[in-house]
Amino acid sequence: MHTIYARINNLSALLSSCLMVLLGAVAVSSLLFTVNPTAEVVVASVQVVPGNARRYAKKHQEFAFVNFNVTADLTPLFNWNTKQLFMYVSAEYTNKQGVANEVVIWDRIVRRKEDAHIAIAGRNKYIFREMSTSFRNVPPANYTLKYNIMPYVGLLTYGEAGRTLEPVAFPEQHQLS
Amino acid sequence: MITWYYIITARPRGAERILIMNEYLQQLLDGKIDFEGQKLVEQIVKITLISSTIFSFLLGFALQSLQVTFGIFALSVIVLCLVVLPHWPVYNRHPVQWLPVKDKKTT
Repeated sequence: MHTIYARINNLSALLSSCLMVLLGAVAVSSLLFTVNPTAEVVVASVQVVPGNARRYAKKHQEFAFVNFNVTADLTPLFNWNTKQLFMYVSAEYTNKQGVANEVVIWDRIVRRKEDAHIAIAGRNKYIFREMSTSFRNVPPANYTLKYNIMPYVGLLTYGEAGRTLEPVAFPEQHQLS
Repeated sequence: MITWYYIITARPRGAERILIMNEYLQQLLDGKIDFEGQKLVEQIVKITLISSTIFSFLLGFALQSLQVTFGIFALSVIVLCLVVLPHWPVYNRHPVQWLPVKDKKTT
């Protein structure tokens, strides 16, 4: 502590400890905000259409097209440590082979609290297809709205805002004329 | 300690002046303080850093703004550096009193 260098050393050593404690406290504080936002997910229609798999021209595959309505108020998820929200609609079903699938069909990034009021009539952004190439005899699927809270400091947290009241069945293949 | 007063009034010229300036700069860079000053600096650093951490967290939490938290913390660190790092005269008020030189012949 007798020279300026010793003082810089001493100050920065304690400063780094204090900064770590501060960051830790901020990260822990976001655990205090426990909110469960509710969302309404309604599937308006599901269509199953035949097509070609992209990479293999001769391989035939079925594609599902989902129209859905989502209304949600995710503003309570924004606290002082929320950087942005990632929200996504996923289809959950167990296929014929007994494998539980979760397919993300739509997503959105919400950066501001003002944009967290969601009222959307949307359709799937991403290709929705079955690994076994066909949706025939696949049990009905649940559609859920889930979110990730991305904090400035701390852990990414997952949550589910809402799901369809009843599973929605996949219809028979719809032939395009 | 060479003061600005000496540099201005004595008006040394040329190489002598450069030597004096060098010595002054060296003192500024070293920033040596006495033992009491060191004790005081250590206390100031401890109290300020810990209390500003707590204060900035609480105020930021109350206002729900991380910007406030880290703004206050950064500001208090800058002020603390200005207060503590240079060798202000406050930290040199208790110079070490050396014992007088003993006469070798009498012992």
